[in-house]
Amino acid sequence: MDHLKAINRKAQRIQEHVGAPGAAVPVPEVGPGGGPAASGVPPGADPGDMDVVGLESGPHIPLGCSLVFAPGWEVDSTGGTAGLCQPVERDLFDCHLACFWPAHVPDQLNHAPDWTGKCAAAQKDWRKIDLIFP
Amino acid sequence: MTRQSIHATGALAFSLLLATPTAAQEAADTTTGIPVTNQMLIESCDRCHAVDEDGMMTRISYMRKTPEGWQQSIRRMVTLNEAELEPEAARDIVRYLSDNHGIAPEELRPGRFEVERRLIDWSYEADSDVENTCSQCHSMGRVITQRRTREEWNLLMATHRGYYPLSDTQGFRRNGPPAPDATDTRHPMDKAVAHLTGEFPLTTDEWTSWSATMRPPRLAGTWALKGHDPGRGPIYGTAEIAAAADDGNFATELQYTYARDGEQVARSGQAIVYTGYQWRGRSFEGGSEETALREVMMVERGWNEINGRWFAGAYDEFGPDVTLVRADGPVVLGLHPVSLRSGSTATVTVHGANLPTGLGVGDVDFGPGVEVVRVIEGGSQALSAEVAASEDAAPGGRDVFLSGRPVPGRLTVYDTVDRIAVTPEAGMARLGGGNFPKGYAQFEATAFSNGPDGKPDTGDDLDLGFVDVAWSVEEYSAVFDDDDIEYVGSLDDNGLFQPAVDGPNPDRIGQRNNVGDVWVVATWSGPGGEEVRGRAHLIVTVPLYMRWEPWRVQELPGRFPRRTDR
Repeated sequence: MDHLKAINRKAQRIQEHVGAPGAAVPVPEVGPGGGPAASGVPPGADPGDMDVVGLESGPHIPLGCSLVFAPGWEVDSTGGTAGLCQPVERDLFDCHLACFWPAHVPDQLNHAPDWTGKCAAAQKDWRKIDLIFP
Repeated sequence: MTRQSIHATGALAFSLLLATPTAAQEAADTTTGIPVTNQMLIESCDRCHAVDEDGMMTRISYMRKTPEGWQQSIRRMVTLNEAELEPEAARDIVRYLSDNHGIAPEELRPGRFEVERRLIDWSYEADSDVENTCSQCHSMGRVITQRRTREEWNLLMATHRGYYPLSDTQGFRRNGPPAPDATDTRHPMDKAVAHLTGEFPLTTDEWTSWSATMRPPRLAGTWALKGHDPGRGPIYGTAEIAAAADDGNFATELQYTYARDGEQVARSGQAIVYTGYQWRGRSFEGGSEETALREVMMVERGWNEINGRWFAGAYDEFGPDVTLVRADGPVVLGLHPVSLRSGSTATVTVHGANLPTGLGVGDVDFGPGVEVVRVIEGGSQALSAEVAASEDAAPGGRDVFLSGRPVPGRLTVYDTVDRIAVTPEAGMARLGGGNFPKGYAQFEATAFSNGPDGKPDTGDDLDLGFVDVAWSVEEYSAVFDDDDIEYVGSLDDNGLFQPAVDGPNPDRIGQRNNVGDVWVVATWSGPGGEEVRGRAHLIVTVPLYMRWEPWRVQELPGRFPRRTDR
């Protein structure tokens, strides 16, 4: 980034963001030998030595877990929650195709035909939605 | 397209496809089924499941499952197919089917995470296409803990497509014609049936062998107990198992101690052992429903060990891994703590059952470089000693002996803590408390030393065990101006994440739920003021609106153990 200059607004935001505290860029947090937390790689150190398990991997996508559910995804395609259809109550009756449906809802063909009977507008009446035990 | 119209499209496709069954084109499956001899089962089910002259009942005779699998089938028959069953009769039928149409220990073992309700990463290595077809909607554990004839696997697919027409588009059938250069033009569901028929057939050597000699388990007696309760650390104690009047039924008295803080727990429970080895129990502290823990364990061949998981919580997210070892004589179970910094002195306790008492300094050996200064206390279940590691003690694990007996686990001497691992590396919590129960996430921290090579995550790393850390939450920055951390919930001093309330949040843009993803950060502080951090990724997501666990009944917020008061 040192040799690149942001020339539009988005690039500028990225530049600001990467330099900001809490940015999603893995940074080494322990020095070799377990010394005090250091920021950045000390001069002369091999960056590979700074690897810390748990920091070197990116977000974890729980699809393929032993308890997946569908049609519902805990995360979007990037492993985060930003791309989920939100709030989920708005999505219960009319699935939005531009986002990830996060909720596994009961099937209204067989198991729970009246699941939404008490809930004319889920975003307002969401407390009336039942938990179904087939 | 709405979800309803997708269903309608799927139903149409289903009716058209019924005209071209693939099963009929295959060679007839001549596998002999398992005759049904239970009169209650026959009388309850023969309205739909015909019995032939050999005692074979349609469908039922041609599949084998776990107790949970059979319980789920019976619930479906009651809720969707108008089967009429009293609870007592249903219990007897589950027992009969689990014993006679069950699965053998070797068959269950790869999929035991399913019945032990573990939220783990697991991949079905044998065939990723089959995994994709099935795990679009549910765990592969549900699949690999069943055995069926080919006709039954085909009927299973047909049942899915009838009840859930969307399964065609979710994974059962490819979208559109096969690629021009494709050599295998079958639909995924047909590939799956072929694979499952080969890998999980009704008749197997394992089941033939196990079922031929299966007998009521003989487990009465005293057992030593050891385990690990995530977030709380190791537990040690004893279990008294008494046989009940019926074969395979047992009563338990459990006593154990949390090694880190000395908290003592006494529980009473009951258990049924299905198929000669599948322990299903429930225990309580002081008879309180709030403290109930379900027990799912396997009795190992040889009858000397029982192991598995006890669990509670709206999503079965709490509870220890437990191992019971028969304790007719002295049993040494393990150590706490399992690590000692070179040049330091600490109290180390050896836990067990029926341990010899009156032991002295010379009776306990912690290995080279570690001196036993004095025995602080020695009882039949634990011996505590003050031990000192010399400044020049070589880093590494030492085998420990108590009165000549090897102690499971090792005492590791180390010079530095180099990294902190937070487990689970990827956690998941579910919003709740408004309309649905909360799904908690428990984290814990383990310390590691880099070992002789000085490099992290290599084979010589030293596991220093469970450590106390300061817990915090940091933003996992996925989008600009990410603010999940303000909404998702809070992490307590014990690493227990408590998710925020469910429902739309008017304070968030677009009334988003309190969903989000954050880092869970553990900070360990050493004696010299040094700090080492580790972190894990946490997803906080929406509740499940439909629950399939066969034992679960309506649970609303406030009616399940929350464990937030410790």
